[in-house]
Amino acid sequence: MKFEWFVASRYLRSRRKQSFISLISIISIGGVALGVATVILAIAVLNGVEHGLKERFLANEAHVVLMLHGSDFFGGYTQRIAQIEALDEVVAASPVVYSQVAVFPEHSKRIQDVIHIKGIEPAKEDIVTGFSRFVAGSVDFQNSPLIAKAERLSDNTVTGGIVLGARLADRLGIVKGDILRLVVELQEHPINPDTFIPDLSNFVVIGLYESELAVYDNSFGFIHIAAAQKLYNRANRVNAIFVRLRDAEVAPQAAPRITDTVQFSVLEGLPIARTWMEVHAPLFAALRLEKTLTVVIEALIILVAAFNIASTLIMTVMEKTRDVGTFRTLGASRGSIMGIFMIQGSVIGILGTLLGTGLGLTLCWLLSSNSLRPSPWWALIVAMPVLLQVLIALRRITPRPGGFKMALWLFWLVSIGFGLYCFVKPISLVELGLSQIYQMNQLPIKVNWFFVGFINALSFLICWLATLYPAWQAANLNPVEALQHE
Amino acid sequence: MTHSREALIRIKDLHKSYYDGEAELPVLQGVDFMVRPSEMLAIVGASGVGKSTLLHILGALDRPTAGTVFYEEQDIFTFPDKALARFRNEHIGFVFQFHHLLPEFTALENVAMSAILGGVTQQSSVHPHTDKAKEIASCYDTRSVYTRAQELLAYVGLSERQEHYPSQLSGGERQRVAIARALMNQPQVVLADEPTGNLDSRSSEAVLELLWLMNAQAGQTFVIVTHNKELAERADRTVHLVDGKISTAGKW
Repeated sequence: MKFEWFVASRYLRSRRKQSFISLISIISIGGVALGVATVILAIAVLNGVEHGLKERFLANEAHVVLMLHGSDFFGGYTQRIAQIEALDEVVAASPVVYSQVAVFPEHSKRIQDVIHIKGIEPAKEDIVTGFSRFVAGSVDFQNSPLIAKAERLSDNTVTGGIVLGARLADRLGIVKGDILRLVVELQEHPINPDTFIPDLSNFVVIGLYESELAVYDNSFGFIHIAAAQKLYNRANRVNAIFVRLRDAEVAPQAAPRITDTVQFSVLEGLPIARTWMEVHAPLFAALRLEKTLTVVIEALIILVAAFNIASTLIMTVMEKTRDVGTFRTLGASRGSIMGIFMIQGSVIGILGTLLGTGLGLTLCWLLSSNSLRPSPWWALIVAMPVLLQVLIALRRITPRPGGFKMALWLFWLVSIGFGLYCFVKPISLVELGLSQIYQMNQLPIKVNWFFVGFINALSFLICWLATLYPAWQAANLNPVEALQHE
Repeated sequence: MTHSREALIRIKDLHKSYYDGEAELPVLQGVDFMVRPSEMLAIVGASGVGKSTLLHILGALDRPTAGTVFYEEQDIFTFPDKALARFRNEHIGFVFQFHHLLPEFTALENVAMSAILGGVTQQSSVHPHTDKAKEIASCYDTRSVYTRAQELLAYVGLSERQEHYPSQLSGGERQRVAIARALMNQPQVVLADEPTGNLDSRSSEAVLELLWLMNAQAGQTFVIVTHNKELAERADRTVHLVDGKISTAGKW
């Protein structure tokens, strides 16, 4: 292979000896590098979104929710929770009264919203969903000073305190200390609006719930479990048990064990245990689809870059046709000729892939690192190389050692790197107004190393395949015709 | 054919036709002759008579339509591509009318190229046993390859030009580099196609001097295609190619 390497490495350089590598090779390498860099970055973002959402779901939510079919209430929950908590994989379980109610603020005359209500046991709920971590204000549903204060100011009797999703509160136009009225049970037959008097309960807003999950901040209210039971007239009964596991990933295996453990009689109903994965299945499925499509599109980008390599090689083969004839007369076999051009193409592929990986990972790091960057004015230093290049152009007449060439390349690399460091910062989703949609504050980045390896292998394989046809073409040139080629 | 035992190359009933669609264009129509070791053989004939085609077939660059070529009684066209390439590398040197030097390589590299090309197998035949021996041999070989290339360049009078690229050399100098290259692997035979066809008379004289010097000193066999009368007269023997056949007048 010595001969093939010797020739291929010479062909990679330009005709003019001054250049480290020929322009056409640089363009081909750049094509591959950009393809690989974008795919790494795109997948890192999608991965970041998925990972970020997962993390938030797991921080805010129970891993398994046990309910009866039709959300029927059931009794004996203390004992059932003890049974569930006895399971190895379970950290804690918390009883919940869960339903939807229509609400309106005290000063309003009509229903403004329908919200989710969760009646909880604060201490237990804290272990299962980390509830109190997200509350600004009190979580003392019975004895918060705000309750007494509101009772004094209002004519209505107060049932208890409520912790309201922060954005929901904004939308309803109420603040801590205000009273929210819950319309508990609408009659099921048609209502005559003139005579209808709803069953109302008044709750004082004692705290605001603000997590990183918009769905809770937008539509949830939390009250004490006893108040909820009173509301629905279901003393000592609940309709859901929320469970936290040691490892969220084993939820699919844990769910059936939980339903087996808590035995419900036929009269009580059919138990259903839903895992957090099932709850969010459509979202994760959509993300997976998006990822797959991204990989396909990016593979096409790399394919385009590979075509670039193929055309570079075809041009080289055309340009070197006479050389090929000469090599054949000197005794190069078809295999050797093929080797020369395959090495040339593969080197472009490898350099492009490695450069692209470097660039992609650098961008990932820059987009996720919140370290303080120098002022962009400093980046003006990047303009310095341009001045330097002018100086070099003036010096072109004088011969210079190869070391200088390398130093120049290094200098450019450092300059561009520094420019990127100054300008590429994490993208704020808050500023873009997307933080509610994605439920995150900044564009999340998570590098999947397995995927980086995969895309490296894929890119190299595609580039290698792209070399086959031009190399084969060169190998099959007729030596006599090649020699006479003009 | 009584001398066939001492023949280096024996050409037997060689036919070559080119095809343009359906039309057959016969070029060689039964060529028979032989080349003896260490002789200077000139092949002469009118333009388009098939001299170059004959030379290409002799050098195994092209395949005959019928008939074959024996080198030391071996039919070279029975070799597969790889073996044929190796054979070309080890036994045949070429000099063309156009120098056909590689523009991206220096004069020295151009001369050394055929040895670099043949490299690995030559080493392994010398040190076949261990990887270490191969490694040592490869260092030694690279050095000796360039040493030999330098010697050859000195021999053709271009010691000062070894780091020059072909574009930096004159026509005569390029052709001398090409001759040095043809001799690099010490081939049994050098095939030359109008080696002075592209040169002025002074350069051409220098190149011819060199060829005869090589023949005299190293005993190299030369087969030279030419229509240069003077050259043909200087040759040990001349073969005339007329109408795709060896004319009887020219046969020995």
